[in-house]
This record gives sequence, structure tokens and C-alpha cells, in this order.
Amino acid sequence: MRIVALDERARARGLRRDQTLGDARALAPDLDCRPADPEGDRALLLKLAGWCERYTPLVALDAAAEAAGSHGLFMDITGCAHLLGGEAGLVADLEARLCAQGFSVRLCLADTPGAAWAMARHGEARILPEGAHAAAIEPLGLSALRLEPSLVTALGRVGLKTVGCIARLPRAPLAARFGARLLQRLDQALGREAEALSPLMPVAELSTERRFAEPVSQHDEISHVIAALAAGLIEPLERRGLGLRRGRIRLFRVDGHVGELAIQTARPLRDARVIARLFEERIAGLHDDLDAGFGFDLIRLDVVHADPFAGVQADLVAGAGGGEHDHDALIDRLGARLGTGRVQRFVLADTHIPERSFGRLPAARLQPGAGRGRAAAGLALAAVPQDEGLPEGIVTRPLILFERPEPLQTIAEVPDGPPLKFRWRGVSYEVARSEGPERIACEWWRDGRGARTRDYFRVEDSQGYRFWLFRHGLYGRETGEPAWYMHGLFA
Amino acid sequence: MSLSRLQIATDILAAQTRAGEARACRAHSGMGAGDAGAAAPLALGATAVDRCLEGGLACGGLHEVRSPLARDIGAAAGFVLGLAVRAGQAGRGGRQGVVWVSDPAARVDGGGLFPAGLAQHGLDPSLITMVEPADLQGALWAADEAADCAGLAALVLQIRGNPARFDITATRRLMLRARQSGVLALVLRQSGEEEASAAATRWRVNTEISGTDDLDQRGVGAMRLSLTLERNRTGRTGHWFVAWNPQTRTFDHAAPTPVLRSVHPAAHSRHRLSATGHRQDPPRTMGQVLDHRQDFGRAS
Repeated sequence: MRIVALDERARARGLRRDQTLGDARALAPDLDCRPADPEGDRALLLKLAGWCERYTPLVALDAAAEAAGSHGLFMDITGCAHLLGGEAGLVADLEARLCAQGFSVRLCLADTPGAAWAMARHGEARILPEGAHAAAIEPLGLSALRLEPSLVTALGRVGLKTVGCIARLPRAPLAARFGARLLQRLDQALGREAEALSPLMPVAELSTERRFAEPVSQHDEISHVIAALAAGLIEPLERRGLGLRRGRIRLFRVDGHVGELAIQTARPLRDARVIARLFEERIAGLHDDLDAGFGFDLIRLDVVHADPFAGVQADLVAGAGGGEHDHDALIDRLGARLGTGRVQRFVLADTHIPERSFGRLPAARLQPGAGRGRAAAGLALAAVPQDEGLPEGIVTRPLILFERPEPLQTIAEVPDGPPLKFRWRGVSYEVARSEGPERIACEWWRDGRGARTRDYFRVEDSQGYRFWLFRHGLYGRETGEPAWYMHGLFA
Repeated sequence: MSLSRLQIATDILAAQTRAGEARACRAHSGMGAGDAGAAAPLALGATAVDRCLEGGLACGGLHEVRSPLARDIGAAAGFVLGLAVRAGQAGRGGRQGVVWVSDPAARVDGGGLFPAGLAQHGLDPSLITMVEPADLQGALWAADEAADCAGLAALVLQIRGNPARFDITATRRLMLRARQSGVLALVLRQSGEEEASAAATRWRVNTEISGTDDLDQRGVGAMRLSLTLERNRTGRTGHWFVAWNPQTRTFDHAAPTPVLRSVHPAAHSRHRLSATGHRQDPPRTMGQVLDHRQDFGRAS
């Protein structure tokens, strides 16, 4: 067993990474050690990255550090520093908050991600003034360039030990001998080559936030803040001609936890009261209350996705034509509280197998007005299916369909005829009248070769109950003992 | 002089009080001008039923439909959906949507609405929004919200049995909201008992032997329902046989034809013949085979 990570105090006692646990125990008998938990570390890092979004939406994981067994985050604070009193204010605030959460951090602000990485790990300066990064990293060792250790060793063997050494050498021979990666890292650190950070979370189209000197934890205060934030969103949405389709609230708790509440709307929305109400419903629908802990010190409202907002011509007659709109608003409210997956609409699929002939999709995901005949999500929407050649008014399909056909015990006159008697859910029924069979073949392209044909019968029992039964498998050809199933109830 | 003036003032005051009382009465009985429910009642199409209801069901109001047995759910759903179709058709300001809220207990049987069946029943499946909350509390909340939404034609709340939480307060809340918005609010109570509620009417729906099929003697004919109006706020109750006609989208009276079914004498047993509502007279004993239900159009 070896030491993977250790803190400052352990280092001061002479311990180091990769030391065996036995050696470490000999040096420091009172050592407090825990088994390494890389997955837990990564989860924590992701949580921390989420928390760092209070400073900028562009937070990225440091892949190079992860490969080397340590952890780091990149933040692109372009255009964000002035909100916290400039770069110095931001760095001080970030460091103070992270220390308060119990992390020991090293941070550096520089013109390029590469230079910031080098200075944070190998340098002393915390904020490099603009343009000073090249001079600052020159004296640093080559490991500051995010290179593989083997490459650093190879360069050291030929006497190249600092960044400055390489920067002054001719480029072509370097690339020929040590690979293009070396020059790429050098150029990235010096700002000759741009380096894109890929943010963890999709960047919101718009966001508005409020910071509190004193953390808020009361439910009314939070809803008040949400209402105010929503009101602040309306003007920018109007200017861009957009309406909110998906939004989220992020609640930054004092102790570093970040709560998130998302809403989805059926049509682009630009009404602050409605937006705030949807979030209210979302909060009310939580199983446990918002865990406010010691309170939230930052609440942010993001517009994750927005769609062009079609202006509505107000009707002269009050109330007329508002029906459709009301309906969509209702779907949004229900979806916000119960979860969008619990508010569904039918979509039809092109198949004859009854239980596959339709699907149910969240109503909020369908396009606005989709209920009136537009296609969505690759499935044709319910255009009323009419069997060809069937006179209108003849009913062949039940109102209630069982998701899973239920097995029956039946007595039939002949093996391929309708049943005379059957037993379903513990009750016997005598068939008085029947119609059928309606044969629905299996879908061999989905179910494979062994799939069986279904013969559907519409039967009425002696008391007037009307059922939809089917025999699974053709007698004599597909099976010797066909099974019967109950599949639906007629009105 | 001063006396007569005082007299006049008193008269005016009395007149105002009377007017105020009348207004309050109207408002109380749901006939106030501000209520959307005061709009034209929703006729079922079957004349005798409509006559008994004095024109039809109150559109903005709560109505309960119960099916005594679990297997009657098909018939009850047929009746409820027929009402929903008619509510969407009645041309009440373009209201069309139907919200179907189901309590988890009502979903345990595994049966769900089938779009192809809905279409044949006369209801465009794309107009239906299914709401399936995780608990009864959520279902009641969703129903309240939907009853508030003036853009809906009908709201169906499907519950099972008689849950304590769906009590008279909950039904009254639903009733008041529906009256405000003009939504036809229907409670579909599956295998439930009679219970005090604020609903304007309560119906019991049983399935009934289907009509004759002209093409096929042994075939299943048009659906028929045995409909019992168990409770009616405005007073009269009754029992009818009706059939839903998906073409005209009306309920028609169905004559209980005395079909002889040699194999199944049970079809004519007494208790199947005459299900009474809260009527005074008990059903008379009938003969073995003869069917006297010629009074199918009669309201009690």
C-alpha cells in the first residue's frame, strides 16, 4: 500500500507521495490514513466545478492533471471579474470560500490556461498582469508544460530543463525529435495557439442572478427572489424576440452545495408571473423540502433554451381564443409539479400490433399545437385511424387496453374457433356472442422467427360484458396448444 | 312629512335587501351571471334523460360516474368519454381538450386508454392529455388545477374505491372551481360505493347486453349501457338504457329488445331487468322469459 495523496501537515513530517504505508507509519505513528476513493474524489471535483459556476459559466475539468493523478479546474473568467471587484477581488473571494469549505487550493490567474496551470503548480504568483505570462513561466521546469513525465525526462537528458530553454531553440528539430505535442503545449502556454475549454454544463442563453450578503433560507424569501429574477429576464428576452422553453434555478448554498430545479414549457414563455409560478410548483412538488441548510448566498436563474416568441394578437372579445393557451399553461404547471414525464399525450406509430401502435410522450416535449396534427419525434401524431372498407360507426377496437395481455383459461368448441367459456381474474364468463377472428400477424422483422400470429375475437358474455381476446399462435401450424389472452375492454 | 319620508326610506331599504337576497340566492344556486356554469346545459341526446335533467348536465359542475364492479370500467369509461366528446363539441368557445387524471390505485389493473378505441368512439386521441401523478394527493391537486383551466372541455378524475382524502371538501372544491371555469368535471369512480359528495349528479353505469347485429346473428351488436341516475341535485332520478352513437356523437335510447338466448337464461334474471335508483316502488316480479321493459323512455 502506498500513499496517493497527503496534506501539508503530513508533508511537513517528511512523508511524500508513493511512499509505502509501512514507512510512513514508522515516521509518523499517529498517521490518520484512509483508503483512496478515486470515484468519490471525482464526484467531489464535479460538485466543486458546479459550485465554481457562481463565478463564470465556463468551468472545465483539468484533464492533464487528472492523468497525472491530481485534480484541477479551469475557469474562463473573461468578462466576469468586474462583478466581484476585479481580478484581485475574484481570486480573493474564491480562495476564501474554498478555504472555508476545507479545501487547500493553489490558484493562479493568467492570460492563457497553460500559463495559469504552470504558475498554479510550479510558480508563486497568483495574478499575472496582462502580457507577463511569457516571462513568468520561462524559469519554470518543463513539467510545468503539462507534458508526460517520460518526455520531461528525455528532455532533461539532453540538458533542456526549463521552459525558457525550449522557447529559444529552433522549432523544427525539436518537433522532429520530441514530437509535435511539445511545441503545442509550449504554444498554448505562451498564447501562440488558442486552447478551447469545454465547459461542463451547457452554457445558458441568458442568466440572471442575485447575491446576498446574508444567506436566505426562508421559503417566502426564495420565492420572492425567484419572482424578481424572472421579472428581470423579461426585458432581455423581449429584446431578442425569444421566449423561455427550458429554464433552471441554481441555488448556491453557503457550504458549497448547489441545488438545481429545472422547468420545461410547452410553448415559448415570456411572462414573469407564469415563470415564477412554474418554479413554485416545482418546489412544491419536491418530495423533501428545499434543503436550505445554513441558507443560500447566490440564486441564479438560467434560460437554458429559448425559442422565437411569436407575438399574439390580442382578441377583441375577451377570453375568446385563449383556450389553447390556457391548456398549454396548464400542462406546464402540471409538468413542473408532477414531473414532465407524468403528463403525457398519445402519439401513433405505424404498426398493427395494438400495444405497439401508440406511445405516450411528455406533453411538454411535443411541439406547441402538436395536439392538432403536426408530426413530432419521428412518430406520426394521432390522425384518426380508420380501417379501410369499414363502415363508420362500427367498433372494432376497445376503449381500455391492457398494457400486458393477461392469460386466460378457456374452453373452445374447436381449437381454432372462438372460446365458449373463459376464466379471467378468477371469474368465469360464458361467451354469448362473438365476432372474429381478426388476424394480426407478428412482426417478424422485430420479433424474430419464432413469433406467433394473433387471432383477435370480440366477445360478449351472457351479462353483456364485452371483451377483446386473442389466441396466440395458429393451431396446428405454429403451436399445438395455443394460449389465450385478454387484451381489452369495450364500452 | 318627515314620517312619510322615513317610510319611503324604509321601503327603499327593504327593496334593496330583497334584491340583495335574491342576488345571493341566485349566486348560491350557481345561476349568477358571473358563473360560466350558467351557460347552456349539456344535453346527452337521449330525450328522456335530458327531460329528467331539465335540459342536460350542468356544464360547469362536478358529476360522478361510478361503476360498481371493476369489470364495468369499460362501460363507465364509455359513458364518461361520451360526455367528454359532447362537452368538446358543444361549441363553447373552442374548448376541446380533455384532461384525464388517474389516481395510482386506479391504474393497478393495468388497463389504459387505447387511442384506436378512442378514435372509434368519436374522440380524437390527440386531444387527450393523460396525467398520472404518483399519489392521490397529486391527483387531486392536478384535478383542481385542471378544473380551473377555462380552456378545457372536460376533466376526468379516475379514482378507485372511496379514498378518505377525496371527501366532501375535496369534491366541493372541485365543484366550485369547475363552476367558475365552465369545465365539465367528471369523477370516474371505479368499484366504489355511494358516498356523500358535492357532485351535482351521480350516475351508476352497468354494461348491458348489446343490440342485435343485422349482419350476423351471433355477432356483437352496438354497445348499450344501463344508466342509473342515483342522485340529482335538482331532484329527479331515473333509470334508462342508452347507446352511444359515435357517428352522431349522441346518446340514443336503446330499446331493450327481448332477445331469446336459449343458452343463457341468466340474461333475463330479475335483478338484471330493473335496477332502480332511489325510487319508492320496488321492481315487480317478472315472468321467466317475457321482457316488459317497454318503458325505457320513462323518467321517474
